[in-house]
Amino acid sequence: MSIQNMSKSAVRVGKNYIKGYTDTQVKVRDATSNDPWGPSGTQMNELAQLSYNQNDFIEMMEIMDKRLNDKGKNWRHVFKTLTVLDYLLHAGSENVVIYFRDNMYVVKTLREFQYIDEGGKDQGANVRQKAKDITNLLQDDSRLRDERRGRTNMRDRMSGTSAP
Amino acid sequence: LPTRPVDRDKAERALSENIKKATNAEEIAPKQKHVRNCIIYTWDYHSSQSIWTGLRVQPILNDEVQTFKALILVHKILQEGHPIVLREAQAQMGWFETCARTVGADSMRGYAPLIRAAVQYILQKLRFHRHHKEFNGMFEYEEYISLKNIDNPDEGYETIMDLMNLQDGIEQKQKLVFAHFRGAANNECRISSLVPLVKESYGIYKFLTSMLRAMHRRTDALDALEPLRGRYNTQHFALRRFYYECSNLKFLTTLINVPKLNHDPPNLFDSPDD
Repeated sequence: MSIQNMSKSAVRVGKNYIKGYTDTQVKVRDATSNDPWGPSGTQMNELAQLSYNQNDFIEMMEIMDKRLNDKGKNWRHVFKTLTVLDYLLHAGSENVVIYFRDNMYVVKTLREFQYIDEGGKDQGANVRQKAKDITNLLQDDSRLRDERRGRTNMRDRMSGTSAP
Repeated sequence: LPTRPVDRDKAERALSENIKKATNAEEIAPKQKHVRNCIIYTWDYHSSQSIWTGLRVQPILNDEVQTFKALILVHKILQEGHPIVLREAQAQMGWFETCARTVGADSMRGYAPLIRAAVQYILQKLRFHRHHKEFNGMFEYEEYISLKNIDNPDEGYETIMDLMNLQDGIEQKQKLVFAHFRGAANNECRISSLVPLVKESYGIYKFLTSMLRAMHRRTDALDALEPLRGRYNTQHFALRRFYYECSNLKFLTTLINVPKLNHDPPNLFDSPDD
């Protein structure tokens, strides 16, 4: 971890404290931070489990909504939140599906997200592609059902809870 | 009303700020983040009234670039905003006509013909939506079918003709935009007006393809469909050229992915579902 990243995470810890974010919200903020690595499988899995609790769910949506509407410079916030959202749509509670169907336009309008960094690299392209994929998934009910079912089966098999 | 965590007062203030920034006098593309916030506002509050008011209180009509940017903004909100925007826009005909009339002879930067063409197309679009309320602003087939609840294309002949007229309207407008590029000058603002045209023309194209295919599946009178097939093919080639020209505009391809059509029009006798 570079000094720069270290100080950034230190700032995040401070902000979490000052703004009074809950433990769940801190988890979402960590998973969708500006650090140049993706949210880990463990982080996403934990968030998926938390989404089954109504309180945690609401707290999570609050932060995810903020992150999705962040500005271009923070494209990583947006991109990683979409990554987490994709995971939650597959493995999280049904409420996530309902919430993002209701508010589909938040994701849909990200299909034109723009950000070109100082090096002239089009960082918006990642966001645009992910927003497109998730919009398609949200609009295809039967595919979403299938993928959610497949995910549950796999998890059950791996944890050995289902009959062989 | 919205299930998102929002604050109405804050949203209203932010909205007028977003309108102002999206339509400022800088000769560049309206920033997508400001356009997006306006679109999201209409979904959050199921209303566009504050947008029309906002456009009126800004000194937009004094400046041709601002007027042009306002029309790009409006086009995008009509496309992607809540369906109520299409209905509420019907009451704004006067404002659109004022836009077209106000740009006068002193159009130093050459936007006057583009503004008039933009207004003309938007009015055509609004007339279409007035008669065909089941279409959303981007002509998405799935939503149309789910709204109609049945896959009944038989009533579609006239609808198809109307859609094709709209497609011709886009063709005319895009040609005019290309004809008004300025050699060395910065064309960013003009190019950005092509973005909603690319998206809308593709929506119409896909819609027409699905609908025509469905009609071919259902009817025995294939000869009766010949005029539609002919016109569809003509439009296919025009669109293909339009997208090809767009794909060469580097600035445009950083804004959206331009669709690429096959050389030949799709076979309407084929069923794509298998």
